[in-house]
Amino acid sequence: MKKLNQFALRISRLRGFLLPIAVALIWEFMSRQGDAYAYTFVPLSQIILSFIELLKSGELLINLVATLQTTVTGLILGGVTGLLVGGLMAVSPTANKLIGPLYHTLRQVPLLGLIPLIALWFGNGLFSKVLIVSLAAFYPVVLNTFEGMRGVEKKYIEVSSVLKFNRFQLFINVLLPAAMPSILTGVMHALAFAWISTVGTELLFSTGPGLGGLMQIAQEASRMDIVIIAVASIGLTGLLMNNGLFRISQYLLRWRSVR
Amino acid sequence: MTKVWGWADSFRAHSVYFLSPLLLLVIWAWVCSVGIFPEQILVSPYGVYETSRELWASGELPLHLQDSLYRLGWGFAIGSLLGLLFGVLMGLFQSVNSFFAPSFNSIRQVPTIAFIPMLIMIFGVEETFKIVVVAKAAFFPVILATYDAVKGIPRSYFEVSRVYQLPTWHLITRIVLPATTPPILTGFRLALGRSWMVLVAAELIAADSGIGQMMEMGRQMFRIDIVLVGVLVTGLIGFLFDRGLRSVEAHLGKWKYR
Repeated sequence: MKKLNQFALRISRLRGFLLPIAVALIWEFMSRQGDAYAYTFVPLSQIILSFIELLKSGELLINLVATLQTTVTGLILGGVTGLLVGGLMAVSPTANKLIGPLYHTLRQVPLLGLIPLIALWFGNGLFSKVLIVSLAAFYPVVLNTFEGMRGVEKKYIEVSSVLKFNRFQLFINVLLPAAMPSILTGVMHALAFAWISTVGTELLFSTGPGLGGLMQIAQEASRMDIVIIAVASIGLTGLLMNNGLFRISQYLLRWRSVR
Repeated sequence: MTKVWGWADSFRAHSVYFLSPLLLLVIWAWVCSVGIFPEQILVSPYGVYETSRELWASGELPLHLQDSLYRLGWGFAIGSLLGLLFGVLMGLFQSVNSFFAPSFNSIRQVPTIAFIPMLIMIFGVEETFKIVVVAKAAFFPVILATYDAVKGIPRSYFEVSRVYQLPTWHLITRIVLPATTPPILTGFRLALGRSWMVLVAAELIAADSGIGQMMEMGRQMFRIDIVLVGVLVTGLIGFLFDRGLRSVEAHLGKWKYR
């Protein structure tokens, strides 16, 4: 009886594969309806062949590394600036009153809507790309740093005033560690936004190497197989980075006694 | 008398919020009047105002706006309703969940923008592709919020419905939807913001009308004033959507705290 239940469980797990298999079958069916259809619905075998080819020629790897470089550079620049600005806003009420409203006003503009403006000002090279990605990473880190530091328990700050900490010591020894969980949540958001905006800028600028550029060129050449491979790589890499960062943040927060 | 003073106090308390944006505006105007940058690089705030009035009077801006909002409306309606439907069904029935969850979770990993080239190849550059992109952007925040909300309904509500032998349809409309309204509305708000951003991006890439296309044309013609008007309009619309749905949330969520 137990075995039967396990079998039923295993079957029910397979249900999740039903939909993708159905889509793949319909896709394959459509691709065999004639040459015109095969343009859009590339045969599945063709996708695998192209994938091997892209791997062998190194094209996929070069573009992936370029995209990753833009994302990581933007994440670090935007993240560090965001941490400093958010920290400043949390420590100094004057800075908060001055920067806060400006921050909330500028944040309203959809980031990718800024691309034409930034392209006019700074051209469509690497600098513009990194600038947009940095902005994408900057916004969530500022917000989470500020809220995390504002939420620090009063008693910690009282202890630090008893110990006669100056502002810098307060920031490094009390506020930063106490706000770390919130800041790391902000960095997780920042990573997701940075990844999205990297792909977006690569699509819109279509200069230099990168998965977005690869996709754009493949679309113009009607190479659906390459487009699909690029889309899958973008999704998979995003997922891996997300999981990796989550692991790191768990490691950094191991001192917390939660549950 | 006290009322007047109270108003003055609140004005003083709030006026500080306008300080830094106003300061930025003043610096912007000053830099323009000094003429450090040529007009192709930076237009004065007054120039942006003039251009926006011109674009509005010539009917160009209303037309772009209308096209963008039409796409947003259809895409958002389709995406969010599908999200609501799947979210409720997947939250209520484990079997539906096990069929769809793995596929949805893998599609969710890919940023919507990355699907644009693929969708252009399937649907062409006409309206369909933009509506599909917006629908995809709206679908996932709504389905996630709905699913979580349905999962969070107290078990006792379902027991009551079983006692009264409510048919499934009534279970959904009378219990599930009212109980989950506040978190679902939050999902709608997120979805609307993302849809708007994705739509502008899609219009930047491929469109013959819309706010995004207006900005892209402005960029190609080196008309920075038009680009700035576009940036302002997209920001303003995003802001209004957010505020509007927040007030709806506050209004509809009231019953909870009574």
